[in-house]
Amino acid sequence: MRRFTAYVLLTFLFLSGCSAPADPDTAQESIQVIAMDTAMLITTYGEHSVTAAYAAEDRIRELESALSRTDPDSEVSRLNAAGGEAVEISGDLQTILSQSAQYSQETGGAFDITVAPAATAWGFTADRFQIPSQTELDRLLPLVDSSQVSIIPSLDSSGDGPKATARLGPGQSVDLGAIAKGYAADQLCKVFDANEIPRALADLGGNVLAWGDRPDGAPWRVGIQDPAHPDDKNALVGVLEIVDSFAVTSGSYQRYFEQDGKRYHHIIDPATGYPADSGLTSVTVVAGTGSGSGAMCDAYSTALFIMGEEKALDFWRSQLNGSLFSLVLVTEDGRVVVADKINRFAFAPNEDSGYAYETAS
Amino acid sequence: MPMKPPPKLRPTAWDGLVVLCVAALALGTAFFQWRGGTSQALTAVVSVDGTEVDRFAPADLAASPRTYEHNGYTLEVALSIDYEHPASSVLPPSGKSGLCVVRSDCPTQDCVHTGTITESGQSIVCLPARFILCLEGGTPDPDGVDAVLG
Repeated sequence: MRRFTAYVLLTFLFLSGCSAPADPDTAQESIQVIAMDTAMLITTYGEHSVTAAYAAEDRIRELESALSRTDPDSEVSRLNAAGGEAVEISGDLQTILSQSAQYSQETGGAFDITVAPAATAWGFTADRFQIPSQTELDRLLPLVDSSQVSIIPSLDSSGDGPKATARLGPGQSVDLGAIAKGYAADQLCKVFDANEIPRALADLGGNVLAWGDRPDGAPWRVGIQDPAHPDDKNALVGVLEIVDSFAVTSGSYQRYFEQDGKRYHHIIDPATGYPADSGLTSVTVVAGTGSGSGAMCDAYSTALFIMGEEKALDFWRSQLNGSLFSLVLVTEDGRVVVADKINRFAFAPNEDSGYAYETAS
Repeated sequence: MPMKPPPKLRPTAWDGLVVLCVAALALGTAFFQWRGGTSQALTAVVSVDGTEVDRFAPADLAASPRTYEHNGYTLEVALSIDYEHPASSVLPPSGKSGLCVVRSDCPTQDCVHTGTITESGQSIVCLPARFILCLEGGTPDPDGVDAVLG
């Protein structure tokens, strides 16, 4: 009887000691980071999920310290304060300036990082909102010209030699707010890849990186905020189901102020110096991690918002016949236009939202 | 000198009781661990400057809101009900109750404008106060989302 009792006790003690086996595919780490003027939520899975999550935070902090326009010690601040003189820049800034020049050229100037002086005039840099006079905008608009930004790349790949330099035109300044988070998403891909992360979701404040699929094997479900109800987190125009993708939304509801009954949002049209009045309330750009980039999605979402529906769809069709990226446009007149030629995502409309849903081809 | 043999022990009712207690404890522990070892209840997590400072069930705020101070700003987090007139709930258009920042002295008021969060994964952010309120756990909603663009 004693032996039997001992066996019973040992069996149950063994049972109690057995925890669920640590599944390297589902172990997860979630961190919240306040950086780049937004709140970021990064969830990583896998054996190295903790290492990857904190490496991701370190990389974001590194980028923020280099690219911030409000930190006087950042590289961008030094470039803006250089009065047109050449300034040594890091590899990150060199890459972003080069990408910005490319996207500006591709979008016919709708994306332009040199719109910074006009954005500042509206108070969007320091959250001290005001309506600038037309005289002031007329004075600032000649400074909005990305062709005046010059980059002299470093020819020394070892990093020991002379660094790359950049120079702005006299009186110019740059704001990387419309591309920096997308570039950060690109850098997170490298962190996740280096740490063999099988799946992750990084929400960088309007920029989402869906890395792999969900732990249950389904695609990540990413909602698109209804611009008509920005104060209700449950109000969505629809849900994207994506894997291995970047998704970025630019919308007029994200940052704005009201004066004399009129709303002024933060997406400034480089051609006019005024908040873009394009008939769109939001633009979502989706691209694969293999074929596109976060920086591209970020820059295009801003540019296409400024272009308006017709030009945005023309631009979409012109990029690899509509296969480089996919689009979801929300219009002021209550339509949601989905442009996804290669079925990059499944889109579930919210039939209760009151929008009319259309498909572009 | 021959040793005296030990007295023969017979299990008693108390031994049986101990076996039952150990077995119950073992099974309970194993069950808890096998099901993931985590609570499924919806939980609010508050962090400031990246450090968790509070964790509670949303229902804990049924009696009164909770106040947080950081970086020179004060925020009041509450259930989406009117405490003075509980019958008249202040529900978001979705009709679900949840948590919201009802008051803040921050300059942007983005945290107040965010409205009510009801689902796991949703959050309210106050950048001036470097404050994040996030919902975790809860029963997964098959129609829910993992993130929201916007």
